[in-house]
Amino acid sequence: MSVLNIKDVSKIFPGGTRAVDTFSLDVADGELVCLLGPSGSGKSTLLRMVGGFETPTSGQMTIDGDDITHVPPERRPTGMVFQSHALWTHMNVFKNLAFGLKLRKVAPAEIKRRVEAVLELVGLGGYGTRAVTQLSGGQQQRVALARSLVLEPKILLLDEPFASLDQHLRERLREEVRDIQQRLKITTLFVTHGQDEALSMADRIVVMRDGKTEQIDRPDIVYREPRTPFVAGFIGTMNLIEGTVANGVFSKAGYSTPVPVADGPATQAIRPEALELTLATDNAQGKVHRVTDFGTHGLVDLELLDSTRIKAMVSHPGLFQPGQGVALAPKAIAAYRDDILIHRGALTPEIAARRETIDA
Amino acid sequence: MSTLVRRRTDWTGITFAVVLTLVIVLPLLVVGTWAFTNVWRYPSLIPQEFGLRFWNQTLARADVWSSISMSLTLAVTVTVLSAVICLPAAYAFARMEFPGRSILFFSFLAGHAFPKFGLLVAIAGIFLQLNLIGTFWGVVLIQLVGTLLFMIWIPVAAFQAVDRRMEEAARDVGATPMRVFWSITLPQAGPTIAAAILLSFVGTFYETEGAWLIGAPQVRTLPVLMISFINNQPVIQYGAVLSVLLWVPSFIALMFARKVVNSGSFARGFGG
Amino acid sequence: MTTDTAGSVSPVQPHRGRPIGLLLVAVPVLMVVWLIIWPIISAVITTLWVKTPEGDIFSIETYRFFFSDGYSLSNLGMTLWTTGVCAILLLVVCLPIALYLRFADSRIAAYVQGLAIFPMFVPSIILSFAFIRVLGPNGTVDLVLNAVGMPKIRSPYLTPWGPVIGLVWDNIPLTVLILLSGLGSVSNQAIEAARDVGAGKIAVLWHIILPRISNSILVAISFAVLGIFSAFTLPYVLGPAAPEMMGPFMQRTFRELFEPQTAITQAVVTFAFCIVFGLFYVYSVAKNRAP
Repeated sequence: MSVLNIKDVSKIFPGGTRAVDTFSLDVADGELVCLLGPSGSGKSTLLRMVGGFETPTSGQMTIDGDDITHVPPERRPTGMVFQSHALWTHMNVFKNLAFGLKLRKVAPAEIKRRVEAVLELVGLGGYGTRAVTQLSGGQQQRVALARSLVLEPKILLLDEPFASLDQHLRERLREEVRDIQQRLKITTLFVTHGQDEALSMADRIVVMRDGKTEQIDRPDIVYREPRTPFVAGFIGTMNLIEGTVANGVFSKAGYSTPVPVADGPATQAIRPEALELTLATDNAQGKVHRVTDFGTHGLVDLELLDSTRIKAMVSHPGLFQPGQGVALAPKAIAAYRDDILIHRGALTPEIAARRETIDA
Repeated sequence: MSTLVRRRTDWTGITFAVVLTLVIVLPLLVVGTWAFTNVWRYPSLIPQEFGLRFWNQTLARADVWSSISMSLTLAVTVTVLSAVICLPAAYAFARMEFPGRSILFFSFLAGHAFPKFGLLVAIAGIFLQLNLIGTFWGVVLIQLVGTLLFMIWIPVAAFQAVDRRMEEAARDVGATPMRVFWSITLPQAGPTIAAAILLSFVGTFYETEGAWLIGAPQVRTLPVLMISFINNQPVIQYGAVLSVLLWVPSFIALMFARKVVNSGSFARGFGG
Repeated sequence: MTTDTAGSVSPVQPHRGRPIGLLLVAVPVLMVVWLIIWPIISAVITTLWVKTPEGDIFSIETYRFFFSDGYSLSNLGMTLWTTGVCAILLLVVCLPIALYLRFADSRIAAYVQGLAIFPMFVPSIILSFAFIRVLGPNGTVDLVLNAVGMPKIRSPYLTPWGPVIGLVWDNIPLTVLILLSGLGSVSNQAIEAARDVGAGKIAVLWHIILPRISNSILVAISFAVLGIFSAFTLPYVLGPAAPEMMGPFMQRTFRELFEPQTAITQAVVTFAFCIVFGLFYVYSVAKNRAP
């Protein structure tokens, strides 16, 4: 039962690169938090600082109130799963798992019991005598996970653990890891650059950019209510339209919606699924460029009058043909100015209702 | 199936194989035969009498035993000293940052920019002033210099090939840096380092030129004794038996070092 | 270089490693300075500053003697001849072997490669002994020729050709390995593309393969020249007594004539003749290898 607190942590590398910039985060007991961001956003550096492999330039980290900022990795109650699995190839599966227990002077019988229990947990019961090089990529990653779990760490750290696996395996392991994490109620910090992974696994997502936090929220909120255009663009597909607001109306090349903010330039964000299209001949705001049928739904690429490209999700793609004029009716929009959210609105009743349960 | 995809006979390969066997294996076979020959008079194609008589005679010679023990002592001393001073240095080059790291790393090439025996004579000039000529430690020093390059370069490559994450994972499960080195880094780099140590042992055991220039006649190693046998010994079998004796460590080395040599890393170490 | 050894590796904790790292490499580095760099500098100094009763004076007398002494010059000439012949023979022998090994993929090729590398594990002193037993007077070759009723050969033992044969034999493995390593950088695709546009085997060899491995050939030759120019054991045992190669010449001057000054002068002369090959070789090795 453990809590991780990170307070104002910065990391400046010798070359002067500021990898992490006054970063703060509190991870609650049993919570799984995803650090999400493009490469170079500092998420891995942050995780490695929690693991003890990098020393923060400034700031403080505590686990259950104990300051761990300058504790070496071997004395930290953290367990890390590496991207390349980093299994010790000169030891078999059992020895890989037993090594940490042996260092802790656990009795051999107890080591055997615990290793076998954890192997069972990750679905590799009876694999103890295998050489790690004989295992498949997915199995190796499971052993790496088991190696961390067998020591019952207070905080589990996962550094893009599925990056080297194929799509199918990744999805399966994602579910397995989430199941195990829920069963053990282990506090977990997870680094990924894949939004699917973050959305499907995390209790909370930390979106990072240039070593700073862009947004910390539950996955559904990050998705529906991105706080900055960066988050909006990074998570899911988002139409970002640069335009101007005058007299409470946002307009861009013939397309306009009421937005109750002060006059000036603004960026409007609309999810493809929140953009309703109707065929229009006289007052067309855009033109259909291409229609893609995905079976369950369709995606319409369209051009505004000044050739700005946006996408809309439609349930009946057959209704639209390239070249047709369409009118746009957004159901939910957000507006940003200077990278800050200034308005969110035009919500339909059902989304509004959901928003209330989220806040409760 | 095999009749359908039957390969063309590799005549080039067979030619190379036959010629190389004749040129490389045959001379050694002849020496091996001489070692087990009691009587072989011209012009018989094969020995008149096989036997181990000359093994007994050779091994009864005091100079043979003293040179065997001298060669072994020398090789063990040099290998141990070389490992003790080179392996920590190799680790430092592979894993630490310090001023002048690159230039110091390449300084070990210095000896290879000059013809070897010329360099030995230059060193002998220094040893002359230090009264090291004709002494055991003089020979040890000269051999030690010869092992430096590959006892540093091969282990550096071995240490660098160890995945940094493996070491971090060991720190993560509670191993101290010292323990990580013993339990993870060393076993991972182990086979390559063992090959380097073996090469150093065998190289020292066979080294003739330095031992002859610096050591002879006071420090008489097996190869030095062998030279005097070739020059002055009318009984051919003594040399033959000694060759077989000398060659035993070589053969073991061949078996162990084959992996390292065939991987090509060795050739690259020589600039290929 | 393979990717795992090439390239710089970022150090773990630079601030901590500084003094310790230098300390760990100190002993071998000092040995290089004391036993390689200092002897070379010292050799040049002691042969140029001659001790006289009035103190040390600069003099090139020892070198003037070397280059005016007929015996020294004939030894030098003999060394140059041997080195040149060996280098050419090595290329003629090793290039076909390396080419074959690069493109063959059979069990015979594995055997050929094993044989080509084999001499690396045979000490030159054993090689010398085997040479005498096979090519020497009444050696195996004589036995075979006699058995089929042909006259004896003129044995190369104790002639200039003795060291040549021994040195070529001894240098086959590394020459083949260096060439093979160079051939590894010639991709199959490059060759197939050339064949595709109509190049025959000779054209492929001349226009595609040789240009790509020219550097490896130079490295192999440099390495061989450095090894052969001052070779000692093989010329000492197999070569003629006079003129002799620089290796035995230096050894005799140093240990039998007790003229270290003269021997060191001869050593500096060998340095001078090999310096271009030595620097090129070291440069090539260093280029391929990042610490």
